[in-house]
Amino acid sequence: MSWFARIANVIRPNRLSEDLDRELSFHLAERTDELVARGMKPEVAQRQARRQFGNYGLQKETTRDRDIFRWLETLLGDLRYAVRTLRAAPGFALVAILSLGLGIGANTAIFSLINAVMLKSLPVRDPEQLMVVLRDGSETLTNPIWEYVRDHQNVFSEVLAYSAIDFNLASGGEARPIPSNWVSGGYFTTLGVRAVLGRTLLPGDDVRGCPAVAAISDAFWQTEYGGSPSVIGQTIHLDGHPFQIVGVIDPAFFGLDVGAHAQVYAPLCASTITNGSDKWIDDRGNWFLQVVGRPKPGLTPSHVRTRLEMLTPGLVAATLPSDWPADAIASYKKARFDVASAAKGFSELRTTFRKALIVLMTVVGIVLLIACANVANLLLARATTRRHEIAVRLALGARSARLIRQLLTESMLLSLMGAALGVLFAMWGSRLLVHLMSTSGDAVALDLSINGSVLAFTACIAIATGVLFGLAPAWRTGHVDPHTAMKAQGRGFAAGHSRLSMGKALVVAQIALCMVLIAGAVLLLGSWMRLATVDPGFRRDHVLLMSASLRGGSVPTSPSQQSALRRQMLDRLRALPGVRLASISALTPVSGLGWNNGIKADGFRPASRKDGVVWLNAVSEGYFATMETSLIAGRDFNMSDVSGSVKVAIINEAMAKTVFGSGSAIGKRFQMRKGKEYGAPAEIIGIVGNAKYQSMSETPQPIAYLAMGQDDDPGPVVNFEVRTAGPTTDIIPSIKTAMGQIDPDASLEFTTLDRQVAESLRLPRTLATLSGFFGGLALLLAMIGLYGIMSYNVARRRNEIGVRIALGATQGRVVRMVMGEVGRIVAVGVAVGIILTLGVTRFVSAFLYGVTPRDPATMLWSAAVLATVAIVAAMVPAWRAARMDPVSALRDE
Amino acid sequence: MPKNKNDILQGTLVLLVLKAIAAQGQMHGYAITAHIQRVSADLLRVEEGSLYPALHRMEQDGWLSAEWGTTEKNREARFYTITAEGSKQLELETESWMRLRDGVQRVLRYA
Repeated sequence: MSWFARIANVIRPNRLSEDLDRELSFHLAERTDELVARGMKPEVAQRQARRQFGNYGLQKETTRDRDIFRWLETLLGDLRYAVRTLRAAPGFALVAILSLGLGIGANTAIFSLINAVMLKSLPVRDPEQLMVVLRDGSETLTNPIWEYVRDHQNVFSEVLAYSAIDFNLASGGEARPIPSNWVSGGYFTTLGVRAVLGRTLLPGDDVRGCPAVAAISDAFWQTEYGGSPSVIGQTIHLDGHPFQIVGVIDPAFFGLDVGAHAQVYAPLCASTITNGSDKWIDDRGNWFLQVVGRPKPGLTPSHVRTRLEMLTPGLVAATLPSDWPADAIASYKKARFDVASAAKGFSELRTTFRKALIVLMTVVGIVLLIACANVANLLLARATTRRHEIAVRLALGARSARLIRQLLTESMLLSLMGAALGVLFAMWGSRLLVHLMSTSGDAVALDLSINGSVLAFTACIAIATGVLFGLAPAWRTGHVDPHTAMKAQGRGFAAGHSRLSMGKALVVAQIALCMVLIAGAVLLLGSWMRLATVDPGFRRDHVLLMSASLRGGSVPTSPSQQSALRRQMLDRLRALPGVRLASISALTPVSGLGWNNGIKADGFRPASRKDGVVWLNAVSEGYFATMETSLIAGRDFNMSDVSGSVKVAIINEAMAKTVFGSGSAIGKRFQMRKGKEYGAPAEIIGIVGNAKYQSMSETPQPIAYLAMGQDDDPGPVVNFEVRTAGPTTDIIPSIKTAMGQIDPDASLEFTTLDRQVAESLRLPRTLATLSGFFGGLALLLAMIGLYGIMSYNVARRRNEIGVRIALGATQGRVVRMVMGEVGRIVAVGVAVGIILTLGVTRFVSAFLYGVTPRDPATMLWSAAVLATVAIVAAMVPAWRAARMDPVSALRDE
Repeated sequence: MPKNKNDILQGTLVLLVLKAIAAQGQMHGYAITAHIQRVSADLLRVEEGSLYPALHRMEQDGWLSAEWGTTEKNREARFYTITAEGSKQLELETESWMRLRDGVQRVLRYA
């Protein structure tokens, strides 16, 4: 029968039954008529007709048996029965549902994160059409390139450019950075995103010399303006410049960057207002824009590539940065343009967390497997005690397919209840995850609501796990021989062995998988702890970092004014009570920013162009003292190192070694690349210890420190390091007051060196915390499994142990016997686990620091942890066996 | 469990019902039993208990279509007609019956 017909029967079950009644009564009426016509009395004829027809009720049943209604009715019966059996053993149900809930919850939480970061398409019109323009694989382009592409391309029907920027909402004082976007005029029309109030930014807003207008996000409108409609036409200050708000954007849209919701959108042309000139936007070496377009209908990717290729010569001629060195120009000319899908938007998280998320998904998958093994074991144990019942049912004529179906219904019920619990765990867990990934300076904003695809995923794994752990016991049920099972009278002695070996195999698998997770967790936790405690070459504690923007207010400051302000601020900081030392630098350590350049020095022959590059920083006198970086030789900068005096530099040990070899580097000179040539030589006056520059995990890099006082225009943004005597943040209010007296327009941002280091470690920290958590969870689940199988085993061998004790076996001997069995299970599990671990840990090698993926000590430690916990878990059943009263054990026989 | 001794009968029931309806056009259940009994000169008697489940199965397999109507005696009855698919099935069933008959005859004659 077709499924359609069955389903149709469900929708009209009553009509079907009614139809049958009518049809059958018609038949009986006709038969009665015929019998009467042959001369029978009507009452006799009616009885005879019915008798001839046979069992009327059975008729109805047989006819109806074929519809899905019957099928559903059976299902409902099975479900009722399953609920009843689960309620009869609440402890079992609780452990099973909780194990599954934790396993499925962990999977759902990680998946919802993966879905939000890597899988979900942007909430815009036809996101799958969107393509990002790549130049040699890189997404960032310069504004001159963008303008050329916009005006000359024949590839896209619509095209946009944007750049992420943090606008400062405060005018002077402590900065209030807000994630925002510079956007081209076609941004919103290309994406098909509307305004909920006012209008979006339009092509007319993005022309040179444009007025300062801005659109804001719905969330920003709610928090900053209370959702008031009068927001349109109001003025908002971005980096201290007034912008007029023209509209509020659709709440579903968050910009093209996943994980950083843009709150304010301003037209690209208005950057000339905040920057004070066209210099920034017209800089041919300023790579800051992403260009996204919709290819014209019917263009294949190869067409797109060909057309971009045809565009390239003109583009290069129009945008070439002519002041670049010859080799850089040559490579600029060689650059190739391509496109890639932008349907899912852009995400820094995707690149930094991609591998980590895959590792985590694998980890939670393994946790779920361990949970499944637990539930399978519990079900197996129960199936054994239910052998008698099942045998009776088989003997009474139940088909084994029918019994299997009923047992599977039970495991499905368990897994679905586990999934429901899991979704609850996930809702709470995924928020925790985002919290773990966020840092105070960089909040991660993701839409993690449990949506259709996440629920579908959960449902899929629930069904898969239900089948997975339900299959083993169900399969065994199908092979019960009623005869032997009934003879055993439910004691399970005849069936014991094979059930036990299957259960033991499951526990061995659990321990092996557990070993993989624990070893992984030990590796990752160790790496993180090493990173967090490694000597970075500076002292992290008691250092306040203050970044000051000295652009000025309505009247921009000149570079010489900025230099004067810097000096004044530093002197003032040093005079503040509670400040021990203070200094200025262009960059602070592990901030995520870097500055490097090629150098030339006598006797220095780098193997490649890359090897001739050193990292740079510009610092004031006292920087090394403030950071507590050791000065190994020579002297620090001093007040006489100013522009006009001999150009000086301090280098670190790594640079001294790679560039100048074994001899002393003091007094030697090097030159830095400046455009096509090399700049004036700098004389080395000091050598300092190696300090971390961009990341805590880097090996010592060659670094040259230049004198801040010799730089005439270090830019308007400057970093101060303040070493405090007391708690670091206590001093912020007095600093704010003091700085406000010097320059009320200066915009300040505070953090501590400690926090900056911690933020740079968020990926290893997140991975270590989560792998530690999941490793612990796996350990707990595996130990429940081990405890379960040993308890069951002791109960099963009650008679035998009773006899042994009666014959004089000591308690110690019984404990040894039970523990010996545990030892064998754990030993096999750990051995298999170590082999597995050696095979898979290389996938996390990218996250390891100071340890190899196959570190023997780690393996040993993990095995020791596992063995110890296993012994503790098995002590209870072993002790129970030893304390057994032989008389009562034997009386049960 | 006593497995049906009327297996063959069940197999041929479909053939007989399809043939009867194909010959008569539209028929209700009672008429089908009467028709088969009459045409077979009382040699074959359709077990009424098996007829209705068979009719419903054939309807759901798409071999028959059914609708309610009234008889000459003004009683409500369910009338069955054969579908195109049913006609095809009738051909198949007839063919397989012929083969079975030939086979059995050969065995009886030569074995």
